[in-house]
Amino acid sequence: MDARNFTFMFYGFLAAWVIVLLYVISLARRGARLKKELDEVRKITSQSEQHADRH
Amino acid sequence: MKTVKHALLIARKDLAVELRTKESLNAAGAFSIVILLLFSFAFDPDPEQVKEIGGGLLWLVFAFAGALVFNRSFARELPNDCLDTLLASPLSPASLLTGKALANFVMLLAMELVSIVIFGIFFNVNWTRHIGELSLVFALGTWGISMLGAVFGALTVNLRLRELMLPIIIYPLLFPLLIAAIELTKLLLANQPPSPSDFLWAKILIVFDVVFTALAMMLADTILVN
Amino acid sequence: MRDKLAIGLAAAAAGLLANNLYQMFMVLPDEALQGAIYRILFFHAPAAMVGMIGYFVALTFSVLYLTSKNLIHDSLAASIVEVSLVFSVVNLVTGSIWARIIWGIWWTWDYRLTSALVCVLIFFGYLVMRRAIDEPTQRARLSSALCIFGCVDVVIVWKSIEWFRNQHPGPVLDFRTGGGKMDPAYAHVFWMNFVAILLMATALVLVRTRQEATSREIDSLRRLAHTAA
Repeated sequence: MDARNFTFMFYGFLAAWVIVLLYVISLARRGARLKKELDEVRKITSQSEQHADRH
Repeated sequence: MKTVKHALLIARKDLAVELRTKESLNAAGAFSIVILLLFSFAFDPDPEQVKEIGGGLLWLVFAFAGALVFNRSFARELPNDCLDTLLASPLSPASLLTGKALANFVMLLAMELVSIVIFGIFFNVNWTRHIGELSLVFALGTWGISMLGAVFGALTVNLRLRELMLPIIIYPLLFPLLIAAIELTKLLLANQPPSPSDFLWAKILIVFDVVFTALAMMLADTILVN
Repeated sequence: MRDKLAIGLAAAAAGLLANNLYQMFMVLPDEALQGAIYRILFFHAPAAMVGMIGYFVALTFSVLYLTSKNLIHDSLAASIVEVSLVFSVVNLVTGSIWARIIWGIWWTWDYRLTSALVCVLIFFGYLVMRRAIDEPTQRARLSSALCIFGCVDVVIVWKSIEWFRNQHPGPVLDFRTGGGKMDPAYAHVFWMNFVAILLMATALVLVRTRQEATSREIDSLRRLAHTAA
């Protein structure tokens, strides 16, 4: 196998996997951020509801 | 028939408003002259190079100057709730969109006429040799730009960063039209006899115009929502 | 349920990819003319196909949104466009690396490459536009219109390729040539990798759609809290 040919084949595979991996990581981070935001908003909403019930 | 009549009414209104202030025409015209001047100065191409790059240069100038025109197209209706009034009127969305596209078309053609004269002077090009065919290419290319400009001008009118959004969205969409127009203009300016593949560029121009005009008419209700 | 489906699909994709990688490196020989680098094709072309299929599925959901006004259709369209964009970028980058060896250049303004790039730019613009609009209904309406225009444009650009001679290799797959130009052993691994990438893309779309649903829930809860206040 020609060395340069093989090296670039490796780069090609690496590029494909790195791009997909970067996207998966960004998805995971976005998911974590959304979950945190959802928990916060649920807390605020339940507090507002409790406050409204009392009055 | 009513759609055409209403479209012409909107086009006449827009052109009347524009002629009063000439803000878009002046901006687009000045912009195109500056770009042509800069290119002439920066590259100082010889006649052979002008034959190669002339078509591309002209259409890039038209596309970029065109953005100044269709950016204003719907934006000028925002003050005093004019856009809401137009949408609430008996005018169909299709006629409103077509009217705006027609007005853009006329303004762009005026700017292109000025540009081609300046181009001929700066770059020493005889563009009147195939003036009939050139006019046809300009008309077909400009209609496509005007129509898409009107559609996306309407879609982005209420967005923040509208002036930034519009070019980002519209230029990739205009790609096949611009390439076809560039190739045909290059051919006509170089006075070369057309080969069979050159007629394919004309086919692409016509297909683009027909398809996107039809699509815009079909989606006019979605594009222009009150 | 959806999460379990996404995990299942991802696991299936991983298993299939592992098997395909084994086939590619341990079973299939180097290609006679290209050498080892031909193996990039097993990711390059399926990524392009998955991307293209994705854009047209997104088109279907965009049209569905315009008729149904159901924001779930818009979420699906946006998720699919995003994932398709990732695979389109994979297509461009792997193609560029392959071209460096085979053609000696990273890029050429060949019509197929240019149209692939234009496609990426159109749908990148779609995602940029979505981020600029806060109101969900307006965002959905504009996105649907842009997706429809974008897909029609992609068809026009794609058909133009077939009318012009170009540098990019011509069709080799059975359904394009009417009888194979690709060795059956290679074709088998190619299609298995296509399935693996499609499964991976579907899993990613499910995850992304779930996030869109969460985003909508956050929006409505905020409105509720605002109203209650």
